[in-house]
Amino acid sequence: MTTDFLKGYDIQYWLESCPQGYLMDTEYGHRPGEKEPELVAQDPVLREQAVRTTVQLVLGERCALAASSGLINAAPDEASKRFLATQTLDEARHVEVFTRRLHDLGVKASELEDTLTSFANPHLVRFAETLLEVVDRKDFVAGVVGQNLVLEGMAFHVFEMMFAANQQANPKFAHTLSGTIADERRHVGFGENRIGGLIRQQPERKRDVERLQRDMSYHMLATFGAAFREGPRPDEVAERLRKAGVERSGQDSWQGVQLGEASPEELERVLGDTILKEFKLRLARVGLDYQTPLRPV
Amino acid sequence: MAETVEDVHQLDPLELWEHARSFEFWFGSVQGYLEGSSYGRHPEVPEKVTDPGERDRLVTALCNYCVGETIALEGAGALIRVAPNRPSKVFLATQTVDEGRHLEVLVHRLLELGVRDPEAEIERRASPGLREFQRRHQELVRGEDWEAALFAQNVILEAMEFSVFHRHAQLADPRTREVLLGIVKDERRHIGFGENELGRLLTRHPAVRERLARVRRELDPLVMRSFEEAMRELGAPEAERSDLARSYLQAVERLGFA
Repeated sequence: MTTDFLKGYDIQYWLESCPQGYLMDTEYGHRPGEKEPELVAQDPVLREQAVRTTVQLVLGERCALAASSGLINAAPDEASKRFLATQTLDEARHVEVFTRRLHDLGVKASELEDTLTSFANPHLVRFAETLLEVVDRKDFVAGVVGQNLVLEGMAFHVFEMMFAANQQANPKFAHTLSGTIADERRHVGFGENRIGGLIRQQPERKRDVERLQRDMSYHMLATFGAAFREGPRPDEVAERLRKAGVERSGQDSWQGVQLGEASPEELERVLGDTILKEFKLRLARVGLDYQTPLRPV
Repeated sequence: MAETVEDVHQLDPLELWEHARSFEFWFGSVQGYLEGSSYGRHPEVPEKVTDPGERDRLVTALCNYCVGETIALEGAGALIRVAPNRPSKVFLATQTVDEGRHLEVLVHRLLELGVRDPEAEIERRASPGLREFQRRHQELVRGEDWEAALFAQNVILEAMEFSVFHRHAQLADPRTREVLLGIVKDERRHIGFGENELGRLLTRHPAVRERLARVRRELDPLVMRSFEEAMRELGAPEAERSDLARSYLQAVERLGFA
């Protein structure tokens, strides 16, 4: 029953678990008083890498904000509209905390839009355009698949990897990410539950939604691939940290890979494997078959 | 959370505008009056509605409030795309979740009153005047005209809801009163944002005033018709209806649309 599962996604639950739960006593998503490590602020290579990464987060979250708010009008029932209202505020909070991080990294308010434009990954921009075209058509099923399953379902693993990499090195950023991950988990859960039911009711939508998934997945995977190929290599980062006297704890491990020592190719492979494995399972649960992108990533 | 303000409703308009456009501020604002409450009220508040006639009138009123809050929810969500800057988008995101919460607590109140299928009941009892307002409001918001849409949403619609809920709270049973007063606190924040945003725009671009006056001339009769229908359902005397209309007109005229 749609109504039954949506009880777990109402605003009362959201208030108790999110603002009155894991976000209590936080400040822009992190613990009060936490700052970016001095090394990130001082080393131009590390700073640029942090800015580049955060720009993709801001752009992804801006896209999610526009999509979730736009889908409220397309939602077929009142309970889904209310869930999307909470998701809209979650996404706005993400835009706020990641924008704040750019300011913490020294990007002035007057430089914000230019910084976003100059570091924006073109695949992420194309993904956002594709998703927002669907939202503009008020296509609820395709919009939720694009937003809650492709964008959030894939980004979820990237956030987890970034959290593991920053837990020791940058607790402020890791704490910001942990609240975001908790939100994304809820969004993906809603997407799976709601879309599963709708696909069963509208089996004729299966084919075109799968085509959309194929196109959107390409842009998301290409975005992640580019993130590893741009910026300094992990060995260069390790060398800069060593010269600055920073000891690596060896605890920055994710999916069995030491993140501080792995090559970009290894990182891309493990992330791709994890994302695709989970993503295929998720699609299967809602009754969709994963479609491999036509172009190589 | 950072930037918590003791009572946001005591801030002057300019200060409110400076603070109000962040998630941090929103959280500090609602935390005070939502903490310890569940679905908009404290659990120990007793149910006092037992008379079938009173219950039926209340159900009709609440169904129409749900229509109003759905208009507000869809409108606030749609305005995010049109908003000209990031802080305004963030504020509208907080407004979106406020409107979703209002809808939720009103639907919950309907369930408490024994309504088994609130969506069907809302559809059945919605007043024609409010439906006509909804249709025109959606056209304005979808037209992506920021000033006109914000005026329709955060001045006209919010002032209409503020006036009705504030008035009804004075007559209502304890549970409904607490739910309505919680909503009214949010509405004040929304109206404050609309007034400040439009006030600054009008100072810089006085020509916008005529466009907004046209919107008001079109929407006012629909607002008055909705008031008339709502107050008749509540069994309010004629004098109360006039007070309600006056309260709405005063809220809107603060922007200078006499």
